[in-house]
Amino acid sequence: MLQAIATPGSLAEAHAALSRLPDARLLAGGTALVPVLNYGTDDFTSLVSLRHVGLTGVNVKDGVVTIGAATTLAELEDERALAFLRAALDAIASPTIRNMATVGGNLFVKQPYGDFAACLIALGASAMVSNGTTARVEAIETVVSSGLKQGEIVTHVSFPLPEAGSFKFAKAGRKALNAAAIVTVAAVVETAAGRVTRVSIGLGGVAKSAVRAASVEKALSGNSFDRVSVERAAKEATRDIDPSDDAYASAWYRARVAPVHIRRALIGE
Amino acid sequence: MKHSVVSLTINGTERQMLVAPGTTLVEVLRENQGLAGTRRGCDQGACGTCTVLVDGKAMMSCLLPVETIEGARVETIEGLTPMQGLHPIQEAFLEGFATQCGFCTSGMIMATAGLLARNPNPSRDDAVRAISGNICRCTGYEAIIDAVLDAAKRMQAAQRSEAA
Repeated sequence: MLQAIATPGSLAEAHAALSRLPDARLLAGGTALVPVLNYGTDDFTSLVSLRHVGLTGVNVKDGVVTIGAATTLAELEDERALAFLRAALDAIASPTIRNMATVGGNLFVKQPYGDFAACLIALGASAMVSNGTTARVEAIETVVSSGLKQGEIVTHVSFPLPEAGSFKFAKAGRKALNAAAIVTVAAVVETAAGRVTRVSIGLGGVAKSAVRAASVEKALSGNSFDRVSVERAAKEATRDIDPSDDAYASAWYRARVAPVHIRRALIGE
Repeated sequence: MKHSVVSLTINGTERQMLVAPGTTLVEVLRENQGLAGTRRGCDQGACGTCTVLVDGKAMMSCLLPVETIEGARVETIEGLTPMQGLHPIQEAFLEGFATQCGFCTSGMIMATAGLLARNPNPSRDDAVRAISGNICRCTGYEAIIDAVLDAAKRMQAAQRSEAA
């Protein structure tokens, strides 16, 4: 049962609170953690809120986007430089939830949620992780699959701005809006003379965490960017995924349709 | 367990309250402040019936431990309602038959207020998105979407007559 919520006003205070409260969980937007608290199924006795630690805002400089981990998804929708992400953000929960849910928090929600992490994987993003004395840079896929050590905080995520028109996104859910992922596909594809020069694909809904579709990337890289080639490469996704059954779809169904949605995301048909 | 004092501006008036750790905004509004117009539904952010405005943005009050929003400006359905008569959004819902059992209505109206504060002239698509976090099990949504668009027109008309 919850005994304390610390509400630090700076990153240093947040680290101090984490060392004072050794079993504390980090609370960002609360959209995934507070339901657990409300249901009484929590296994922690304290929370450290990151709402007022000053980790908000988006900065674009020299083609690199840096986003404070406590920035809400709704705040990203307002960023002109991130207009290419609007369709992806629109596919995550509802505007009300996006007014609360944060970029950092989205890395740690359980699948089949956390589509923004799939976008960040596609964008080749890294996370800045602070332990109070030093900071390290970690790939997003490592953070979402391995989590953090107790006492660590993701302070920022950053990624290079993709070429105009190179970011692709498709999501299959049970409803058009506000649905969990059956399969989420985010990708950055750059081509020259009809051939794929750079491809980076993140998948949501099809494994324990958002994952990189490394086999699909390998199969597509250097090849022609047409339906036959993309369809053949997309089939390789079965090597990258490990889907689960849940209330939204079976593991079998997810594995069956993942290549279809990869194709749809990449070539729009 | 250490209780703490939290200060919030609720419907324009600063209020202080003593809360246990993890007390959510919906609990404070209903149990401590007597503002029972905000409904408590699923307690997990899925139904939207507890939607209020926090610093002008529509949020689900069941997901907000009040200690984490110290100093915030909260507006509920009671604060939206004028001393006399109804707010244009309420009029639009009433006259458009956009409520049946009424349990979702205050959340729908506050989600609409959040939309119209940002976007005074929403498209039908904008209206659908704005209430996509709010569940209604009676109406089938069409009347609510119509009411959101009607509310936008009423608020624009009210602003024009104020300006004139």
